[in-house]
Amino acid sequence: MRFSFNWLKKYLETEQSIAQVAESLTAIGLEVDNLLDPEVAFKNFKLVKIEKAERHPNADRLQICSVVDGEGNHHQIVCGAPNAREGLIAILAMPGAIIPASNEILKKSKIRGVESQGMMCSFDELAIEAENECDGIIEVPEGTDLKTSVADVLGFDGGIFDVSITPNRGDCFSVKGIARDLAAYGVGKFVENQPKPCKVDPTISMNIDYEDEAVFNYAPQMSFRVIRGLKNGESPKWLKDSLKNAGLNSISAVVDIANYCMIDCGSPFQIYDLDKVEGKFNIRFSYKNERFSDFKGEQYSLNSSILISEDDNHEPLCLLGIKSGEQITCDENTKNILIESAYFKPECIARTGIYLDAISDSRTRFERGIDRDNCIDALEQVSSMILENCGGSAGEVLTIGNTNYPKISIKMTKQKLKSVSGCDIDWGRVKEILCKLGLTIVSEEDESATFTVPSWRHDLTIEEDLIEEVLRINGYNNAQEKPLSVISIGEDASLKDFDQLSNLRKLLAFRNMSEVVAYSFTKREYAEAFREDRKIILIVNAITMDFEVMRPSLLPNLLKTAVLSLNYGERSVSIFEVGHVFADFCDQETHISGIRVGAANSRNWLNKKRNYDVFDVKSDFFSMLNFYGVNVKNVKIEVGAPSYYHPSRSGAVYLGKKLLGWFGELHPRINKLFGISDRIMAFEMLPAINEVKKKRQREYNNKIFPKIERDFSFIFKGQDSVGKVINDICKLDNRIAKVDIFDSFRISSTQKSIGITVVLDAVNRTLTENEANEVSDKVVSYVEKLGGRLRNQ
Amino acid sequence: MLAELDKLLGSCMFEIDQCKDLKKLEGIRVAVFGKNGKITEKMKCLKNMPQEERKRVGARINEIKNEILERLKAKLGDLEMIELEKKLESEKIDISMPVDVQSYGYIHPISKVFSEIATILNGYGFRFVEGPDIESEYFNFDTMNMPEYHPARTMHDTFYLNMPADEHGRKLLRTHTSPVETRCMLENKPPLRFFTIGRTFRSDYDATHTPMFDQVEMLVVEKDVGMAQLKWLIKDILKKFFNLEKLSVRFRPSFFPFTEPSAEVDINYSIVNGKMIFGTGDKWLEIGGCGVSHPNVLKAGGVDPSQYQGIAFGLGIERLASLKYGVPDLRNYFESNERWRETFGFSPMDL
Repeated sequence: MRFSFNWLKKYLETEQSIAQVAESLTAIGLEVDNLLDPEVAFKNFKLVKIEKAERHPNADRLQICSVVDGEGNHHQIVCGAPNAREGLIAILAMPGAIIPASNEILKKSKIRGVESQGMMCSFDELAIEAENECDGIIEVPEGTDLKTSVADVLGFDGGIFDVSITPNRGDCFSVKGIARDLAAYGVGKFVENQPKPCKVDPTISMNIDYEDEAVFNYAPQMSFRVIRGLKNGESPKWLKDSLKNAGLNSISAVVDIANYCMIDCGSPFQIYDLDKVEGKFNIRFSYKNERFSDFKGEQYSLNSSILISEDDNHEPLCLLGIKSGEQITCDENTKNILIESAYFKPECIARTGIYLDAISDSRTRFERGIDRDNCIDALEQVSSMILENCGGSAGEVLTIGNTNYPKISIKMTKQKLKSVSGCDIDWGRVKEILCKLGLTIVSEEDESATFTVPSWRHDLTIEEDLIEEVLRINGYNNAQEKPLSVISIGEDASLKDFDQLSNLRKLLAFRNMSEVVAYSFTKREYAEAFREDRKIILIVNAITMDFEVMRPSLLPNLLKTAVLSLNYGERSVSIFEVGHVFADFCDQETHISGIRVGAANSRNWLNKKRNYDVFDVKSDFFSMLNFYGVNVKNVKIEVGAPSYYHPSRSGAVYLGKKLLGWFGELHPRINKLFGISDRIMAFEMLPAINEVKKKRQREYNNKIFPKIERDFSFIFKGQDSVGKVINDICKLDNRIAKVDIFDSFRISSTQKSIGITVVLDAVNRTLTENEANEVSDKVVSYVEKLGGRLRNQ
Repeated sequence: MLAELDKLLGSCMFEIDQCKDLKKLEGIRVAVFGKNGKITEKMKCLKNMPQEERKRVGARINEIKNEILERLKAKLGDLEMIELEKKLESEKIDISMPVDVQSYGYIHPISKVFSEIATILNGYGFRFVEGPDIESEYFNFDTMNMPEYHPARTMHDTFYLNMPADEHGRKLLRTHTSPVETRCMLENKPPLRFFTIGRTFRSDYDATHTPMFDQVEMLVVEKDVGMAQLKWLIKDILKKFFNLEKLSVRFRPSFFPFTEPSAEVDINYSIVNGKMIFGTGDKWLEIGGCGVSHPNVLKAGGVDPSQYQGIAFGLGIERLASLKYGVPDLRNYFESNERWRETFGFSPMDL
């Protein structure tokens, strides 16, 4: 909501400066987003008259102007504008002025060897849209007093507020409403400025028909007036300036006046060019699929619950309370008009507005609720202004619907006030605040009072609303503070899962992976590549293709993130995310996923250069399992990772029947999809990890007994899963403490040699040589059973 | 004989002192004490001597023998030391060679702030709860006192999903973490203190908005809480979070459908050399919203508003992170490259 300071002063007598008023507005919840304070914006600007303009000795296009200001001081200005001439009144920016267009501070300078003590400004330099094409500096009308402030000359009318209005405050979509709130806060005195009824010609009238009583469920009250014989033309400058300051363009006097009055008192109007209404004027509900074209030519398809006006052509003239139609638009030939000032139910306008996705100043006000009691006053105000500016004669006010309706009363108790506010506020002060806001006291008891809510405050419906008003006007910062009582919550397990995830983040970070937080949504084609046989969840009203579906896996957005770095020339990316995935219309699942791409280490004298491989992500995965307390010996790796993994370089990890996740290299089609040339390693850990039981501690014995190590060299078949064999060997005998592979190489395409160290430990005694041999034999015969054999045999 | 012995001692000592390597020293030892060594020879002579003289000379030989042995041992020690020093000298390696310093990955600032906030709130007895990202209209709006045609509801720029609607209406991505309030109140009896942290979504995407952002929200439902406790709590939390005892906090009236009264919370700052310094100066920056729970919100959560009051406070995690750690541009939180992570991420030791 934009308006000028002088407009505000129509309803508010105040000595305060615009900056003080702005501060008060913010303090009472009418937040000032932007303020044009002339004192600040036009500091170091003033009006000057050019006394002499001579050609610059060193430049053809420049002139040296001698100018005089309102105090009689002379300045020498070098000016390149073609319209700079003797006698012209111009706007001078002095050194120190901030030029709006560039936001730079103007300095004294020498132009082609001649000193210039300022700059005469154009509209462009002041970042003001010029009304008429104007080449050069701004030409201030002849005869203007040089002492006039620049802001006034430019029509800024004392300065401009841009206030953001919260959706509960429909009443503050008017200058009058804002003035009332300020007065209640103590910023000056509220001036009611009640419009006087205008002179009526009783012969001027017309019939307002309506379909049936049902229209009053949508529009409880509608008032109309006909004005005949007016002359529509251009608006006077003050009106144009006021609208410009409010962010509206001037259209024609009649339309401008209606817009002015709407911003002034908060009641929107509908104006019909009566000569364009053919025959009977009727109000009815729209038909399904009925078409409507608004004054800008925008097309709408209606449903059957929108209130419209029509004439004998039976096509909608206007969507009442929302949009004016193309057909009845006023223009310079308009002579006879019908003005409508009505009260529509907020929820009806909201429903229509949402259905049609139609935005207008009128909808904004009606759906937040306007002052129903103001319908007729507003009509008087707009008609008076039209008569005054455009001439013509006005008919009687014609009202359909009901002007009487029940008013809301709310009881407020001292006890509730104290419990919500937590402080003591003087009861007299409470009543004063509420009365200044327009409430009236109906009755008063020792511990409470009942107030009637004014017609413009639709947001006040319960006791808490009144308490908020009292606190708001009294100042939130004046309210007391009391510490929250100390409570002991005992053992709090609520952060356990979160702490566990924090530790996991640390683990992965220590393993040189960086954490990423990526969007929960992704591109459809990415989701398709990762959805497997699950249904993906689609955002019906997505804003861009990148955010069209909910991610079925964390991998696509991790890959997208990796690309951002790889495109920057990074040779290696290791990232992970802990986040939710969505699919199959079920609840979200938390995954822990990571990818590694590119160089595992750079070429240096200690290490051979290599790229990440499957065993890096396997190590990530198993380290996490280990940290989670999973006994990794019991974990099985099976084939059957999702199809976006490389079919022969990936695995699904199971503990019993629980699927804990997948790891491996990604399928080359994923590389292609994301444009990544290096092989991509990935892991995904699934929520089942939270269900696994922790491993038990081994039996502890204080005495240390020597362990025995036995090395074996086996030959296996090429396709054997050695990891599985190792795991099984571990379980062959409880004296086997550990099995490690110390050597692995391929002999041929069908044979591989694997060197194994088996560590034997009986924990509570020294193993005998015989026992060790017994276990060794077990190991060898187990391997032989699988088809392997000892080397050199 | 004795004079001979003295001469022998003198020459042996001289030889030992002059010796410069272990091998020669061993040679000296053999020449003196070996089978045909000088001392051994003298010992051999003893047996032919008369008893009286043998006793005298024998004692002297012993003395000399011990003296020489002593000197030999000392020399051996010295020479071994020199030898070792030489060996160590020869083992010199270039320790200036660069090594693999274990590098680490970075923790995202959102996780860092999440963890800081959780620790602070846990201290007041707030329990942590989570709610679903995919919500229904009923929980996201209706329980939050935003009926279907409320302007505040249309202002929320909601993402709707192609999931079948249920008894709670259409499915959407939650626009705020507030529905967790209702879910928590329905599952627990007051008095209650809890907080939630999570992702929220709005269809807004420009320089200052991302369609996804994280919120932290806390709720107290007790018999004796109101604006006074709310103000104290928020000031205390913000001072702890920013670690600034002198931070000023301002409460500005605002509107949220789910609180009555409602306030926006500002903190003070000044600009010094183009940088924002919090806790000084008279400029204000909005940091969150708060208020006393609207009776309809308590009712939707199954709480009797005539018995209990609620106070609630909500903050944006990215904003907190940006203000505390100087992270510019909201978008980078979710579209980060390696350099951004290195600059604004945290060592795992700091989490």
